[in-house]
Formats: sequence, structure tokens, C-alpha cells
Amino acid sequence: MGTGIAYSVSLDGVIGRLVCVEADISPGIPGWALSGLPDASVAESRDRCRAAIINSFQKWPDLKITVGMYPADVRKVGSHYDLPIALALLLAQGKLPPGCLHSTVAFGELGLDGRLRAVPGVLPAVLSAYDNGVERVIVPAANAPEAQLIDGLEVIGAVSLAECIALLSGEDPPERDDVVPLMAELSAVGRKDLGGEEGDLSDVRGQRQTRWCVEVAAAGRHHLFLEGPPGAGKTMLAERFPRLLPDLELWQSIEVTKVHSLAGLLARDDPRVTRPPYQAPNHADTVPSVIGGGTRMIKPGAISLAHHGVLFLDEALEFRPTVHDALRQPLESGEITIRRSDGAARFPARFQLILAANPCPCGLGYGKGADCTCTPSRRRQYKERLSGPVRDRLDIVHTVLPVSRAEMRQQVGFEGSSLAVAHRVTAARERARARFAGMPWQTNAEVPGFEFRRRCPLPPDVAEPIEDLVARGKLTQRGADRVARLAWTVADLAGRERPGLTDVQEAVFLRTRGVHGCSGGASRVA
Amino acid sequence: MPELDAERLARIQMTRVAEPGDPDACRLVREHSAVALVQRLRSGRLPSPKAQSWAERLAGVDVDAMLIAAERVSARYLVPDDPEWPDGLTDLRWLESAAGDRLAGEPFGLWVRGTLALSELSGTAVAIVGARASTEYGDHVAGSIAAGCAARGRVVVSGGAYGIDAAAHRGALAAEGRTAAVLASGIDRLYPVGHDGLLEELTCSGLLVSEAAPGCAPSRSRFLVRNRLIAALSAGTVVVEAALRSGSLNTARWARDIGRVLMGVPGPVTSMMSAGVHEMLRQPESVLVTDADEVLELVSPIGTAPAPVKQGPVLARDSLDDASRRLLDATPLVAAAPAGSIATIAGMTAPQALERLAELARIGLVIRVANGWRLPPTGPDAP
Repeated sequence: MGTGIAYSVSLDGVIGRLVCVEADISPGIPGWALSGLPDASVAESRDRCRAAIINSFQKWPDLKITVGMYPADVRKVGSHYDLPIALALLLAQGKLPPGCLHSTVAFGELGLDGRLRAVPGVLPAVLSAYDNGVERVIVPAANAPEAQLIDGLEVIGAVSLAECIALLSGEDPPERDDVVPLMAELSAVGRKDLGGEEGDLSDVRGQRQTRWCVEVAAAGRHHLFLEGPPGAGKTMLAERFPRLLPDLELWQSIEVTKVHSLAGLLARDDPRVTRPPYQAPNHADTVPSVIGGGTRMIKPGAISLAHHGVLFLDEALEFRPTVHDALRQPLESGEITIRRSDGAARFPARFQLILAANPCPCGLGYGKGADCTCTPSRRRQYKERLSGPVRDRLDIVHTVLPVSRAEMRQQVGFEGSSLAVAHRVTAARERARARFAGMPWQTNAEVPGFEFRRRCPLPPDVAEPIEDLVARGKLTQRGADRVARLAWTVADLAGRERPGLTDVQEAVFLRTRGVHGCSGGASRVA
Repeated sequence: MPELDAERLARIQMTRVAEPGDPDACRLVREHSAVALVQRLRSGRLPSPKAQSWAERLAGVDVDAMLIAAERVSARYLVPDDPEWPDGLTDLRWLESAAGDRLAGEPFGLWVRGTLALSELSGTAVAIVGARASTEYGDHVAGSIAAGCAARGRVVVSGGAYGIDAAAHRGALAAEGRTAAVLASGIDRLYPVGHDGLLEELTCSGLLVSEAAPGCAPSRSRFLVRNRLIAALSAGTVVVEAALRSGSLNTARWARDIGRVLMGVPGPVTSMMSAGVHEMLRQPESVLVTDADEVLELVSPIGTAPAPVKQGPVLARDSLDDASRRLLDATPLVAAAPAGSIATIAGMTAPQALERLAELARIGLVIRVANGWRLPPTGPDAP
């Protein structure tokens, strides 16, 4: 009877690849053959397609049907191939005008009644289709706002296969009935619930020095490690952290939305993620849920969902060593590669890391530590769980003290509110951005070491405390770079053109847990 | 290994027979010689009821195996008659009589390994001990003090453990100084295993010391007995960080009991790892120290190594009398004031004020201008 060709996209992480779906209907014993490395969800496509086509008042050909998906050596995972397979079949039967799928990618799952159900990963799929020169996409109506984030691409959001057929044939589409998209329940968990936008910094009593550390971390996007007894406010401060950060840039927003699309986390009406995401995985969570992975399709983990946002690891030392090891690559390169025997997926993971930990396994090793039951070797082993490479990348290390009774009674003033801190953070970031004008960086912490040394050298007279520590072996060269970045951030917060000696001393203090340098920044905070 | 005389061999056997520091064994060996003691144990004429267990252990001692193990790591065995034997250990004898069960005896021999002579420690070495689960602050201070002491020729003694001990050894090595680690295990058994590199490195310029027989495993009680050697081999003990319950405080107790200088480095009162040191420092016999100079002052003969006096900057106003200081406070910084009004503020008569203002102007603390007096642009706190 003929052949029909439709196009779709296969996703490896956020990277998509065009897939050609070919359907051939020819005389022979009625049957169905599907080739091109389909996984189980694609193989089941036949039953969905059959029911959907019949329920869309079309005929299912009782002939020999062969569907091929190319490139044939790429594994096809996911139910979004339903729509291209159905369209290719209809085209092969001549039920659609020839050429109607020219430069068009179809992406969607079919319900048995012919409705189009939403699928995850529309944004990255559509984006890569666009990058491949595709001019038009057909997606489930529920995913249309997501696809429309891309300018210059024609988006057809269809609620059903019947509507698709009508639109492609140039006929009036049938009246829409109420379509319940797959993501209806998920849309409630949209970005409004990504966390980190509730509560005010001033809810946390006392902790002036900790607030100061938080402010510097937010201003320069520096990684932060808070160690201290339970109940001192570490978690509360971390949860209030994202509110201190400015909105995402458009390009950041697209990158974040792509990852969140893959995870099926986008709000339906307004899918674009505009605020820095906040992810706080639990130490009992599975490794793939934190790092990324999964049994069929490789899905992004919390570290990728925190791309351009904040990854908060509470009880950081309780996380499995695998998680700590896996943090190394993204901390270095801003992305994570998950390798499998049948391929690798890459996800962006340029997160800001906030770690919180108890002083010891029993949590009572603070103050005089009289109630602490941990042996010295257990305490040591506990601290050593933080691997050297991760430890070396932490810019600010701070020991949180328990809140004193006097502090409990003091209200935190306006200067310590999220609004005031966010304002100062934004001002500081603007200074940094002016400095990096024309360069791809936004914040001090992002700039690679050699570039930073070249473009933002510290004045020789103020670099002395750092050089001294390097000479005495108390600071590595990487550590020295990190202190220099911190010094710039402190100067940015203070509104200074360039760091002075006090800024450098402050930076040294923050980096070395107060063993060297000295700090006066807390007085400005609250 | 060169030919060993009978007494030395008997003492080597005794290290396996009696627990290190057993006061009875130490006394009997010293007073009657090890050869005599071993003979009596062999013949069943036991010198004390306790000796029954010694006799049983003696039967199983393989002295050749011990010598081979020691030779493999080039360890040598020192006894009190050797020129290399340090003086300080005799002080332990005073604890022996009152010891009771306490394993406080003066050792009858020590295994050593390294290039340093044990006698070099006597009377001048500085022990630096502290917590295994130390903080960065503690590691930093321990390393600095060790480096400062080592740079001034002192041997830094510690226990080779993780944390402060390691920081002290490393600090001394970093200053190209000498350092000695007193082990609780046999001389051929480097403990903790993670420190075998550090301990091996230490033998190049320093020394490993052990009282236990080669092959002996470290045990909790042996650490406590070992601590007395750290205290006795040095002129003073510095505790850098210690929790309320800490082995380092045990070393401190030994140091106090044999009359060594006992020093403690303070930390934040909110730090658990300093709580034990603070408790120790509250006792009258211990002294607070903050750097190597202060340590060296305390472990040197009186007046030979005074630590530099620390004080804030001396300002010109410090040398003034009360009235002149009041005048200085009353003198404006920007807009000059007439002497009369300055005098009123300072609470004196105008002539008195004028006389003093002239004097202050002479030393440059105030400036006379057309319409009165004011402070120099540098302010009232010029040095």
C-alpha cells in the first residue's frame, strides 16, 4: 500500500537526536514488525496506536505492517514515539496528505481513545529539533506552552490524534472535549513548589556570623559548609537561601527548564523556570535520584535539577560515599555524565553547594561536649567522609554555634531580613557582572582560576596574607584562588572598587574556618 | 646486631615477660639485675606472688624472634648504663614506690629506631600532645609550636597518633627539626597504620621509641603507660586540644606528677576539643601558652629564653598626665577652638590650659592655628 515517514527525537539526557520513523504497509500475513532497538515502552506502542487509530475513526490496516526507526542502532526509550508511529502509519495508508509532515517533529503519547497525553522532556526534544533545522513540532496540548518557549518554531499543540489528523489535512479540527493530560497531577508540583521561596531569613534567631557567611555565599555563588549542632538553624538558613538570589538569566532559565522538563516537573500553564531551583535530597535517597540515572531512560537527579540553583545536602556526611564521589565531576565541570554499557547521558549540573553537618555522629559534640558519646576515631572517620576533592572546593567553612538564650530573645532587624540581604546580594552581583562585562561569567565563583588571576588580580599590597599562607603551606594554590574570589565578593558587598586588606583578611577567615585572617563582616549583617 | 651481653638479653626477655611499666618488675630488674631475675623465675624461686605469671610468660619467650624482628627494622635496645640513656627517666622512680597498681615504673630498657640519640632529649625536649579528632585550629597551633621549638633546636616529642600528635611531628619536620615518637606498640609495629609513612620519615632525622617488646600490639592500657614516657622524656608537656575525656590529659597528669612543666593552649570555650585543656588550665600547676616563644621560655632555665612581651602599640598620649589627656580629648579635630573653651571642657583654668597646650603643641599632639587650637590631621592617637 505504501510507506510513510515521520520524525521524532530520542533523548540522551538533555541532548536530543532526530529519529526517523518509517512505516510500511504491504500485502502479506497481517502482522506487525518493529525494528530499531525499541525498548518495552516503544514495543507496546502497537497496542496504543491500534486503539487510538481505530477510536479516531480511522482504519487499522489488516496487512503486514513494518515500522522501522532510524538510526537503527540508537536505543529508543519512551512512549513519545506513539504519535510519530501513528502518523507514519496514517501517511502510509494515504490518510494524510503527502508531504504534510515535512520538516515536522512529532512527540507524544497516545491514549487508547486517541487522546494525546503529555510526556516529559518536550523542551529539550523540541530544542534539539529546532537546532537540527526542524520548522514545526506537534506536541500534546499540555506540553505546548513548554514548546512555545522557543522562538521561531511553529508549535502545534493537539489534544488528540483526530485533531492532529484534521490539522494536518487542513480540515476543521473536531470540538475539544475535556482532556486530562498525564501531567495534570504533576503540574501542581510545578516550580512554585521547588522550595526555597518561603520563610524569611530573619526567622532564624542569632547566628550573625552564619548569616554573614550566607550573604557572602549568595553574593559570589560560593560553596558553603555549615557545621554545627542540631537545632542551631543550619537547615532553616539553607532553606531561605534561594530567596536571596536574583532571577535566572534567560539562557539559564532555558537550561534549567530543559532539565526540569525531562523530570516532568514543569508547571503546565507557565512552564519556564525563572527562579534558581533548590534541591535538598535526603541522605537516605537512592544514588540515582541524587546523581541521575534510572532503569530505562536516564533521568536527571537532584544535582542536575539544581542546575543554576542550590543543592543543599543536609546531614551531608551521612550521604553515601558514591554521592560524594559523584559530586566531583559537576563541581569541576558543571555537568554530570552517567555512563551505561549502552551509552552515556550528560546533564548540566552547575549548582551551588551548601552542606550542613553535625559536629559528630551523635550530634552532641559541641560546647564542652560532655554528653558526646563518640570516640575520637569515630569523630575522625565522620569528618573524613567529606572527601578531599570536595572539601577543597568549599569556599566558606563555618562552625555554627548553638543559639544562646540572649540571642533567642532578640528579634533580627530589617538588615537581616531576606529582602535586605537579597538587595545587597543583587547589588554585589551587579558589580561583579560589570567587571565581567563581555565575558561568559556572572559571579566570582564561576570564573576559572587562571582567568580570574589574569582579569581580577589582587593589588600586590593586599595579597600578602594569602601569599604568606601559601608560602607556609597552609593554603593550596586552588585555595588561594578561592580566597581571592571571596575577597572580591566581600569587596563587592561592601561596594568597594577593589578588595582592600580587610576584605582579604575576611576572605581568609571565611575559608580557613577562622584559623587565619579576621572577620568583621557580621556587624554589617544584622 | 652486635653481640649482646647477658644482662641486655635478659632485659629484652623481661620486656616480654612483664607489662611495660610494671613497678615491681622495674624495681627488681634495677636492684638485682635482669639476669638474676630471669634465673629465679626459671628456677621457680619467685621473688613475689605476682611473679608466677611472669614465670609462665617467660617459658614462651622466643628471644631470637624478638631480635630478628628488631633487626629487620634496625632497632636497637638501650639500657640505663648506655651513654645514650636519657636522664629524665629516673624521675619516674619517685612514682614507683607510691605506684600501687599504677604502671609507673622507670623502664629498664627502651627500643629505639632512628638517627637521633635518645640522650639528646634529656631536659630540653618539648612534648606536644592532644586530641586525635583535632580541629584545623588545633592542627595549626600544634604545628606552629612544634616548628618554633624545633627551629630552636628542641626535639619535639609526641605519640605518633592522628590529629595533634601528627601535626606536631609534621611541624617539627617542616622546620627541618628533630622529632621523636613514643609508641605504645612494639618498635616494629607502626601504629596507627595510616601513619607508617610519617613514622618512617621521622626516623631519618628523629627517633621512634618503644618500651614494649617487638611485635607487641598497642592496647588501651599500653597507651596510658606509654604516656608517662612522653612526659618523662621531655622538659615540659604542651596539651593543644583535648576533650573532657582524653588520653592527652593522662599525659598531662604524668607530667604534673613527675614535676615537669605543664602547658595548655586555649581554644574557643565553645569548642568541645578545647574543653579538656581549659579544665586543665584551671588547675594551679598548669600554664597557659599561645606560641613557641612562651613554651621555650617555660622549658628553659629561668631567664635564658624570655618570650617577647606582647603589648599593643605605644601611643604618645600614653605618657601624658591626666590633665593633658583631658585637654587632648577636649581639643577639636576639625574646627579649631580657642584655649578658653578647651579649658572649660577639660575642667581647668585658661592659663593652665595654655601652658599645657603649648607643651602638647611642642610634641606635635595639637596644632596652633590662627583662631585657636586643633588636633593634627592624624588624630589624637598618633604613635
